[in-house]
Amino acid sequence: MVSQFNMSSMKRSNSLFGRVDKVALLLYVAIVLLGLLFITSASYNPDSENFFSFSHNYMKQAVWIGISSVVVTVVLLLDRRLFHMFAVPAYVIGVGLLIAALLFGREVNGAKAWFEFGGFRVQPVEFAKIATALMMARVMSDYSFNIKRLIDLIKVGAVILLPFSIIVLQNDTGSGLVLGAFIFVFFREGLSKYIYFPVIYTVFLFIVSLIFEPVVIFTALLVLFTLYSFLKHGAFLGHLRFLLIIILVAMLLAVFTPMSGYVALMVAVSTAIVVLLVFVFKTHTLTLLWPIVLFIYAMIFVPTSDYLFTKLEPHQQNRIRIFVGMIDDPQNVGYNVNQSEIAIGSGGLFGKGFLEGTQTRYNFVPEKHTDFIFCVVGEEFGFLGCFVVVSLYIALILRLMRMGERIKEPFGRVYCYSVAAMMLLHVLVNIGMTIGLMPVMGIPLPLMSYGGSSLLAFSLLIMIAIRLDATTSDNDMSMGI
Amino acid sequence: MNNRGRVYYNILRLVVVGVGVVLLARLMWLQFHSEQYKEKARSNSIESVVEFPMRGEVLDRNGEYIVKSRSCYDVMIIYKELPKEGFDTTRLMSILDISREKLEKHLREARRSPRASILVVGYLSQDNKLRLDEMNITGITTRYRTAREYPRKVGGNLLGYVSEVSREQVDKLPDYVAGEYIGSNGLESAYEDELRGKKGVKYYNIDAHRAIIGPYNEGNSDVQPERGLQLVSTIDVRLQEFAEDLMEGKIGSVVAIEPATGEILVMVSSPSYNPDLLVGRQRGNNYMELFHDQRNPQFNRSVKAKYPPGSTFKLVQGLIAMQEGVLTPSMRYPCNMGYKYGGRTMGCHAHASPLDLRDAVAQSCNAYFCQVFKDMITNPKYGSVKEGVRVWNDYVYSFGFGRKLGTDLYGEGAGNVPTPEFYDRVYNGRWNYGSVLSCSIGQGEMGCTPLQMANLAAIIANRGYYYTPHLIKKIEGRDSIDARFYERHYTMVDSIHFVPIVEGMWRGVNVQGTSRTAYLKGWDVCGKTGTAENSGPDHSTFLSFAPKDNPKIAISVYVEHGGFGSAIAVPIASLIEEMYLTGTIERPELVERVKAAKPNYRIYDERQRKYDAKRNKK
Repeated sequence: MVSQFNMSSMKRSNSLFGRVDKVALLLYVAIVLLGLLFITSASYNPDSENFFSFSHNYMKQAVWIGISSVVVTVVLLLDRRLFHMFAVPAYVIGVGLLIAALLFGREVNGAKAWFEFGGFRVQPVEFAKIATALMMARVMSDYSFNIKRLIDLIKVGAVILLPFSIIVLQNDTGSGLVLGAFIFVFFREGLSKYIYFPVIYTVFLFIVSLIFEPVVIFTALLVLFTLYSFLKHGAFLGHLRFLLIIILVAMLLAVFTPMSGYVALMVAVSTAIVVLLVFVFKTHTLTLLWPIVLFIYAMIFVPTSDYLFTKLEPHQQNRIRIFVGMIDDPQNVGYNVNQSEIAIGSGGLFGKGFLEGTQTRYNFVPEKHTDFIFCVVGEEFGFLGCFVVVSLYIALILRLMRMGERIKEPFGRVYCYSVAAMMLLHVLVNIGMTIGLMPVMGIPLPLMSYGGSSLLAFSLLIMIAIRLDATTSDNDMSMGI
Repeated sequence: MNNRGRVYYNILRLVVVGVGVVLLARLMWLQFHSEQYKEKARSNSIESVVEFPMRGEVLDRNGEYIVKSRSCYDVMIIYKELPKEGFDTTRLMSILDISREKLEKHLREARRSPRASILVVGYLSQDNKLRLDEMNITGITTRYRTAREYPRKVGGNLLGYVSEVSREQVDKLPDYVAGEYIGSNGLESAYEDELRGKKGVKYYNIDAHRAIIGPYNEGNSDVQPERGLQLVSTIDVRLQEFAEDLMEGKIGSVVAIEPATGEILVMVSSPSYNPDLLVGRQRGNNYMELFHDQRNPQFNRSVKAKYPPGSTFKLVQGLIAMQEGVLTPSMRYPCNMGYKYGGRTMGCHAHASPLDLRDAVAQSCNAYFCQVFKDMITNPKYGSVKEGVRVWNDYVYSFGFGRKLGTDLYGEGAGNVPTPEFYDRVYNGRWNYGSVLSCSIGQGEMGCTPLQMANLAAIIANRGYYYTPHLIKKIEGRDSIDARFYERHYTMVDSIHFVPIVEGMWRGVNVQGTSRTAYLKGWDVCGKTGTAENSGPDHSTFLSFAPKDNPKIAISVYVEHGGFGSAIAVPIASLIEEMYLTGTIERPELVERVKAAKPNYRIYDERQRKYDAKRNKK
């Protein structure tokens, strides 16, 4: 199917094929075909009379691969300017589809995010990803766009937040988080550290606040920031005195007043902050301001996030709790991960062989052909197989970034980075969850998980990138491949 | 690409590679420790099904089956797999031979754990299993077992029975799994290790719903069950049946031993029960019935009871006294209807007087043996009666009394031989030969198991030694049985002293004495009666062996409350000897007489009545 495409495209446009990034294309084909192999293993039924019956998932996937290759061929034949032109309409249609799914869609696994046509189910969020990536590229490649300008930042922020909020409303938070991958793109485009650092800091605080008691967090932050200030300003004894006084006061308060340790620490620190602020403004040591602000932010954020956490759906709470190791229950909520770890772990170095994986074949691993397809890799092909698959993905992502750098216009670069970022997040979260590094979220493994929408969407995402890159090569052969 | 962009690009490339490294590192951590996960995966996806072996069978000394194993099947239901459209319950009920209520009860139980195999009935015969297979109902499976079968229906409390292991047993015996059979009591328990065989295991691949997908590893990992070992018993099952027949209606015990080997030919503990009662679906009810029977049919009196040996013990007294030099066979002592000591009299029956040792044995004179025992323990060379009793103790122990003989059955009793310490306790340290005298004629504190008495008969038959009596003479695939059964145990009495005793026993049967009924023409039977006093009517006992030279059988018969030794015990022993030695019975009228004799068991009946009343109250 894919080879068909190669031949046909060669016939029709020999020159175009020469300019297409063959490394990216090969990586794509390899991943798709390996995916078909894994799906076959996951859904092969030895009792079936007809191996080639279209009732089998692997045959359905083969059909989707066929459809994808046709669509992909069409994409490669399109004029690159069309993508630029289509960005806005695509975005409007994408958001429209999301809203339609929210209103009229079908609920699957608690997420109202699907359309159903006959036997096929389509998830519009997959296409919204393409639309958002194109729209991002369109906005950020605008002549007057400057990411350091607040108004422009708000503009791109809105481009992301609009689909994101609809997806969250669909109760498909996992897919929504993928859009968070765009911070990767912003970073490349020179996003100010005053923006991305707080984001990273917030995520850090959120995770830490789930695992540790607040009093531990704030003691650690206090020590950390004092250390930072000491490294920046020297004066070891002064910082030590500062630290000791706060801790001593907090302890005295905790012992001699009815305050809890947490409250005592807060009181002591707040007093110290007031004193420090006076000192800062008197001596104009503005470098001290940053740690103070970050600490105050933490003082507000940690209790708030604790509160917000209780507002999450119970199953989401549990997933997060299991992920951070707060609950240990192999049979219930963590069952999937536990089983998938057993499946992958039992594969060992070389795996059990094609169709020999007992864990995946006998349904111990749920969703083995979709979200947990990586279990098949781990169990049947061992670490060797895992290494190959992870390497293929990393290589493809790096290739996409390189293509992005190679493209002179910002539109292509932003787009390629968007695709790379989404791929990276998908791979990290999907594989991460099967090996217990990430909480369980319904995010497929790009190009490998069973499912037409996802395959088609990622094929389109990657092929558009390749098409944009091919244009570049056309314009400037000196860049080479 | 400007410089700034280049830096960002490189940082991001590092991030991407970092993600790959983190994922691969975690994968390495999982997959390089794959053993623990492999183990988990195995237990996850493989179900092992235990296959029970055939339990070993037991033959008698002539190659006839005592205990057989017959195939039968447990029938199990997996509720979830039962056909949705239903099935022919009437036919199923008739095959399984259970009522509709019972079937429905089991189905309700199965519905509560729909994926588990629930036992519906056991002991389904091979034929009915085939009929059940024909019905071909999914969700109904069978499991091979073996049930016990007893061609002669004898030896209930000798053989023991087989039951499912209890929860406590499973905890204590890690080798057993729930539902497995284990021998209880008797031979089944004593030779459990040999009889049980080795369980097999079949492995199946299962899915997450525990449904079987197919054999694991094409069945190559399966372990075939190994049937239990066949045992050859020392018992003569025909003789056993005859003896049980004679003991019908009597409470007591018969033990016969081949003196030359210690092999137990007959071991009857009466009342016994038909061992078939403890096989099959009625097992529980039957068991409770036996349990509540105050005559205690499950109690193997042969090895566990503690009976006063009565006059049979005089043989031992005579032997010890001769060895200690206080008695010679020609010594005569007078008897005037008893023996007077310290103002008391040990009574005796009418017989000629005075008697020498041979006639004293034949006539069972009490006075004679009181005198002998007194001479023995008051012998000045010991310094005190206490020391005398101590010496006497050692002699008695050497005859196998007062301790376990070490036969192959568990739960063997030791009997009782009173020691100086015992008398010190009872008499507060102030006692003399008079206090001990009742021992001289096997009364008082003396207690023996019927096995010990039969062993005494064997010792006398062998003129001074015995082999530990045992019930199994051959174990399939082994050259020998336990070494302890090949060891000759000598008493402390020299062989020469047995001659007058044997002579006396021969006279008692063949010339004149208490054992005349035991006479068997041409077989030179030797015997000694005993009449043991107790709280009820006297126990009747007889100890015998035959023929006098090269004895083939030594026997002890003990009938509780049977009256004089000569009344019941002698004819029973004699008939068994006749049967064993000649192969036929020439005295049918004696058989009739024995069978007609019904001792009075008012004591037991009374006990049963009280027990039932108490039970009914509850």
